[in-house]
Amino acid sequence: MADYIEPTYAEVNKDVLRSMMETGPKYWALLGTSISVAGICFFIPWFYQLEVGIGASGMNRSAVWGTYLSNFIFWIGLSHSGTLLSAVLHITNSSWRKAIYRSAEAMTLFSLVTAALFVMVHPGRVWFVHWTVPIPNQMDLWPNFRSPLMFDVMAITTYLTASSIFIYMGSVPDFAAVRDASTGLRRKLYTIFSFGWRGTAKEWHTLGWAYTFFAVLVIPLAVSVHSIVSWDFAMSLVPGLHHTVFAPYFVTGAIFSGTAGIVTVMFLLRKYMNFERYIREIHLVNLGKLLVLLSLIWTYINIMELFTTWFSGSSYELEALEWRLTGFYAPMYWEMILFCAVVPMLILFKKIRTSWKSMLIISILINIGMLSERFIIVATSQPRKFLPDAFGFYFPSIVEIAITIGSFAVFSTLFLIFVKWVPAVSLYEVKETLKPLLRTS
Amino acid sequence: MSTNLMGIFQFEDEFISALRRLKESGFDGLTAMSPIPLHEADHILGFGKSPVRRFTLAGTLIGAASGFAMAVATAITFILPTSGRPIITIPPFLIISYEMTILFGVLFTLLGFHVVSGLPAWRDKIYHPASNVDRFTLVVECTDRENSKLAENIILESGAEEVSRVEGDR
Repeated sequence: MADYIEPTYAEVNKDVLRSMMETGPKYWALLGTSISVAGICFFIPWFYQLEVGIGASGMNRSAVWGTYLSNFIFWIGLSHSGTLLSAVLHITNSSWRKAIYRSAEAMTLFSLVTAALFVMVHPGRVWFVHWTVPIPNQMDLWPNFRSPLMFDVMAITTYLTASSIFIYMGSVPDFAAVRDASTGLRRKLYTIFSFGWRGTAKEWHTLGWAYTFFAVLVIPLAVSVHSIVSWDFAMSLVPGLHHTVFAPYFVTGAIFSGTAGIVTVMFLLRKYMNFERYIREIHLVNLGKLLVLLSLIWTYINIMELFTTWFSGSSYELEALEWRLTGFYAPMYWEMILFCAVVPMLILFKKIRTSWKSMLIISILINIGMLSERFIIVATSQPRKFLPDAFGFYFPSIVEIAITIGSFAVFSTLFLIFVKWVPAVSLYEVKETLKPLLRTS
Repeated sequence: MSTNLMGIFQFEDEFISALRRLKESGFDGLTAMSPIPLHEADHILGFGKSPVRRFTLAGTLIGAASGFAMAVATAITFILPTSGRPIITIPPFLIISYEMTILFGVLFTLLGFHVVSGLPAWRDKIYHPASNVDRFTLVVECTDRENSKLAENIILESGAEEVSRVEGDR
């Protein structure tokens, strides 16, 4: 696909380092807006909730889970494609991953941080969060490792650690390039960040082995993380949640939403960081094909969920299903089906999958659908369990809605800071995809 | 007294050829620097399977054992009987063990990377910044004058842009 002129090695350094070192007013405006929105919509409402108590949210006696948990699942899901896709494509030696994997991995990291914030927001009393960690405390109380919530703590901590190491190790050679191109304090900082990397054969060889092991370890980890998140729900015996299909359902949904997230981030990086020569049509088309595949798997699992619920013959399950398909939140359910099962099929048309704008819109719609999916799972199950006298209703409060909006600003703030500190496109891996520097050629 | 010669190459094939010829001529003190990983350089310098894999294996085994042990230890320290079910429950504890296997595997791989690669490097070593952009740099340790002349000839004949004598650690 000759849609670009191949850059030279030196141009790769120049282009990518320029994106880090030259900062225009647009960037500052965007960062300022992001920080302000994060402050006003996320942190102020959160502090308000800490002040007045968890009653500030719409959660109530029969609906003890709300938007915070659905957002938590959404952000954990969004984190999935980055590291997972990067690791799978590294193992399978897919060279097209090389230009996009760094920003995809960053997306993983910051989605996880955002998700972890919801773990703090949801229980209300954040100052007791250390109770989930197996450390001695004054009550001689230890966490109960039989609970899926404790699986969650272990899985997310491991995922956050592994993803941070994965992205950091892949960036070490690039930190050295930043060090060499900078002066003063920045040079000192990147000398530390790069560990004194020189690019010797020994260093490359060791990094190659270590990186492959990271990739091999991260794949089962990513699959386990969202399976475990699904067990928070599936092991609860609540109608509408107690399904064996939940683990693959969550993992597929996570990769689906994460892949769509990568398309959105790719569009923005390409347009606003001038990476047209690196993020190209081939990336869009390959991710588009992946989205179609994931959409089909997601749709199949959804149909299976409906079928197994009907086939169970359980009145509780059937009531929960009926409420989901025809109740108050039914429009949201059908919007989810439209955005996640129908709209992605448009990618089958070549004109759509090669158009950046169309793919951007589709990727955003998919993630709106996935956000709805997570909300429906929480809002239509807990408040409608078993007997009608226990039925309740959940609707998010203004505090929850603000925090949801603010979480996107938290994510974008972290990402905007990231692109100025770490090369958003991997220098050495992009160079590997270029024509080798040979005298004979 | 040994000296170091540094050759800078524009082309990968010439760099590899110089490296191979130097190795065949008996030079063992060779350091090759490049902007991208070169598997051919690994073969010439004799890098086989990396010892990092032993660190990973050790990490995963320690992680699996300690994850399970931690779950068991907390269960028996704070006994929480639930409907007559066993206190030490294998299936959920295996999940904790699984996560810790991966966590320790990753941490030990990181440790292995640092130990094997010798990074972080606390002292300044011979380096040319262009080797992180678009040049291939070769440093060869020469034990005497004759040796040094031979190395210089090989580097220049292979097509180096420049050769210079440099001080410092390789």
